[in-house]
Amino acid sequence: MTYGRLVLRNLSRHPLRSLFTTLSIALSIFLVCAVLSLPSALAAILDKAVSNTRITVHHEAGLTYLLPASYVNKVRGVPGVAAVNHFTWFGGIYDEPKNMFPNFGIDPDTVADMWPDYKIDPAALRRFRAVRNAALVGEQTMRKFGWKVGQMITLRGTAFPVNLTFEIVGMIPAASGNPVVLWFHHKYLEESLQPRPGWPFSGFPFVGMVWVQVDRPEHVERVMRDIDALFHNSEAETAAETEKSFFQNFMSSYQGFIRVILGVGFLVVAAVVLIAANTSAMGVRERIPEIAVLKSLGFRRRPILTVLLCESMLQGLVGGAVGAAGAFFLFRALAAAGKTGGLGPLLGPLGSFYMSPATAMQGLAIALVVGFVSGIVPAWNGARLNVIDALRRLF
Amino acid sequence: MLVPVTYSTRSLLVRRWTSIFTAGGIGLVVAVTILLAGLVGGLQRMLVGTGDPDNLVVLRKGATNDGSSFLTREAVQIVRALSGIATGADGRPLVSPEIINQPFIRTREGGRENVLVRGIEPVAFQVHRDVRLVEGRMLQPKLGEVVVGKGVALRHDGAHVGGRLSFGRRTWTVVGVFDGGGTAFESEIWADLSDVQDDARRPSGCSGIRLRVAPGADRQALIDRIAADARVTLEAKPETVYYEEQADAANSLYVLVLVLAVIMATGATFGALNTMYAAVAGRTAEIGTLRALGFSRTAILLSFLSESLLLAAGGFVGGVVLGVVAMWAVNTLLQGVAFSMMTFSVATVLLQPSTTGVLLGLLFAVAIGGLGGLAPAWRASRLRVVDALHRA
Repeated sequence: MTYGRLVLRNLSRHPLRSLFTTLSIALSIFLVCAVLSLPSALAAILDKAVSNTRITVHHEAGLTYLLPASYVNKVRGVPGVAAVNHFTWFGGIYDEPKNMFPNFGIDPDTVADMWPDYKIDPAALRRFRAVRNAALVGEQTMRKFGWKVGQMITLRGTAFPVNLTFEIVGMIPAASGNPVVLWFHHKYLEESLQPRPGWPFSGFPFVGMVWVQVDRPEHVERVMRDIDALFHNSEAETAAETEKSFFQNFMSSYQGFIRVILGVGFLVVAAVVLIAANTSAMGVRERIPEIAVLKSLGFRRRPILTVLLCESMLQGLVGGAVGAAGAFFLFRALAAAGKTGGLGPLLGPLGSFYMSPATAMQGLAIALVVGFVSGIVPAWNGARLNVIDALRRLF
Repeated sequence: MLVPVTYSTRSLLVRRWTSIFTAGGIGLVVAVTILLAGLVGGLQRMLVGTGDPDNLVVLRKGATNDGSSFLTREAVQIVRALSGIATGADGRPLVSPEIINQPFIRTREGGRENVLVRGIEPVAFQVHRDVRLVEGRMLQPKLGEVVVGKGVALRHDGAHVGGRLSFGRRTWTVVGVFDGGGTAFESEIWADLSDVQDDARRPSGCSGIRLRVAPGADRQALIDRIAADARVTLEAKPETVYYEEQADAANSLYVLVLVLAVIMATGATFGALNTMYAAVAGRTAEIGTLRALGFSRTAILLSFLSESLLLAAGGFVGGVVLGVVAMWAVNTLLQGVAFSMMTFSVATVLLQPSTTGVLLGLLFAVAIGGLGGLAPAWRASRLRVVDALHRA
C-alpha cells in the first residue's frame, strides 16, 4: 500500500466528515475569493487602464474646480506634449438615478492619439469625429443597458440643465480597462447650453480636466513640471500627475471600506481554520492505536507526519479548487451578464468588478495554507505519539 | 424523563478543545454578522437620520443631489417669499440657501480625498435642528472662517478650534466644531456662503435650498407650489425622502451582508455536524447505557440536540463579545470607516451596534446549532440498545 492510498483510505473512512470539511473549506474560499476581488479589481483597473506616458492636469484645488477651456491649447504648446484631450463631467443618468455612470464631453479629434492602447475600431473613431452627437460607449455599459451600435439614447443631465440625445457610433473595448465610460463631443454640450430660466450662462468655456500624451516616458516628469509652472500664480493653478497616481488617489477613498471587507475575509479564514483543525484533530485522536501500530512496525515520524498532513492539505486543495473555481465562473458569468453593478453608486468603479485568474489562484493558495495550518498540530501530535503509552491504552 | 442538562454540559467540557474550536467557528460567524450589520446600520442611520421630516430640499429640476444642482439668487428670493414656511425668532423665514463644493483635502497618510464643504448663512443652524456647536463659536462671514463636523475633526489634523485647514483656493481658520447627532453633516465643513461662492467661482448662485415647513402648514401643498412656480424650474422633496434615496445603495449592501453571512453559516454548520457526529460515535456505549437505564429515544434526541444548541449558545456569546470589541476598535482606533458617498466626497461612518445585527447573529447561531445537531441526535436516538452495549 502506497502512502497516497493510505491518505485516500483514511479520508474515505468517514466519508461524510471529509465531505463536510471539504465543503466548509470550499464555501469559505468562495467568500475569500469574492472578498479579494475588490482590491485586485482595483489593481487590475490600474494596470490595464494606465499608460506610463499619459498624464492628467486638473485644478490644484479639486475636481469640482473647472479649468478655463483656453488651457487646452496652452498645454498643447508645451514641448514634449504629443496629444491633448479633455474631460468635462456631464453627470448624465439613463432612465433612473441609480443608473449613474461616468460620461464625459471630450475632444473627438485626438482620441486615437490620446488613447492608442484602448484599441478602438478606427471606423468607429471616424464616425465619432464626423457625427456631432456621436457617443463612444464602454463595452460593459453597452451590455448593462442592452445598447447597440447605431442606437439613439438620451441621458438626463444632472450637472447641466439639459438632456442630451446621442447616437452610439462605437464601443470602447473592455480590454481597455475603462469599460463603463461614455464619451461625446464637448462642443455638443457647449452648444446646447443656452440661457434659460435658472441658468444664466451661455456656452461653457471650461473643461473639467486635461489629458496629455507625452512623446516619451523620460519626458513625463519634465512635462508635468512645465505645465504646472505655466499656470503658476494664474486664475486656476493646476496639478499635473501621472494617470496612475490620479487613479490611485481617486480610489483611495474606498480604502476604508476595503479594509473592513478584508478584515471580514480574515475572519472567514479564521473560522474555517478552526473547523478544519477540529476535524483533523478528531481524525488523529480516533486513530491513536493505528498510529501506534504503524510506529511499532517501524514507520518513522516523518512519513507519519506527512501522511497526516497530506490528509488535511488534500481536503484544503479540493475544497479550495471547488470554491475558487466556483467563484471564478460565477463572477465571470455575472460580469458577462453585466449584473455586478448593483452597488454602483456606492462602490463606483468597484461596483463592476470581475474576478481575475490570479485571485482564484490566491484563493487556492489560502486553502492550502488552511489545510496546512489546521493539520500541522494534530499531525505533529500524532507523529510524536509515544508508542508504549498508546499501545498500553489499547490493550 | 429527560436526560439531565449537566450530561450535555459535562460532555462538552470533557472534549474541551473540540467544543472550543466548534464554538469558535460559530462565534466568528456571529461576529462577522454583527460587524457587517453594524456597518450597514451605521450607514443607514447616518443617511436616513440626516433627513428632518419638517424640512424640504429644493433643487434644480433634474438634479439628483445638491452636488449637481444650481440655483440663482433670484430663485432663492422667490422661494423665501412663499407662504407656508416657518419663521425664526427674528421673524425671518427659515430658508437656508446652501452651496456645495468638493475640494481636495490632504489626508493624514499624505494622500488626498474629497471633502464636502457647505457654504451657509447663519440661518442654517436654525434649519438643521440636529446640528449644534459643541466647541468654539459661529463663523463670521467673509473672513474665511469655518466650523467643522465632529467626523472631520477626528480625521484631519488642523480641524480643531484655532487650527488652519488648506482646501480650495485658500487657507481657512477653524473657529468651531459642531455635533450633527450622527448625521452625514458631521463629515462636512461649513463655511460662509459668499466665501464658498468666491472659492468655487460661482458668484451669486447656490446649489440648493433647505427650508423648514411652518408648523401646521401643508407640506405637500408647499412642494406643489414650488414645482408649479413658472418663474423657476425647481423641485422640492422632504429631506427624509432625499436622504432615503441616497441610502438606497445601503440597502443593496444589506443583501450582500446576508449572502455573505448565510454562506459562512453554512460552512459552520458543516463544522458543527462533524463535531456532533463524532460525539455520537464516540459515546455509543454511553448512549446504550442511558437507554438501558430507561431514557427514551426522544430524551436522547433532545439531549444531543441541546448539546449542540449549547455549543452554539457558547459560540453566540463569544461572537457577540468579539463583534462588539471589533466594532469598538473600528470606531475608536480607526475613527470609523471612511465611505465614498454618492457625491464622491468622503463621509465617516461609525459602526452602529444594532439589535438587528445581534438578532441575525442569534438566528444564525440557532440555525447552526439546530441543523448541525439534528441529524447526529437522530442517529443517536436510533441506536439499538443491544448493538450499542455490545460494542462497549
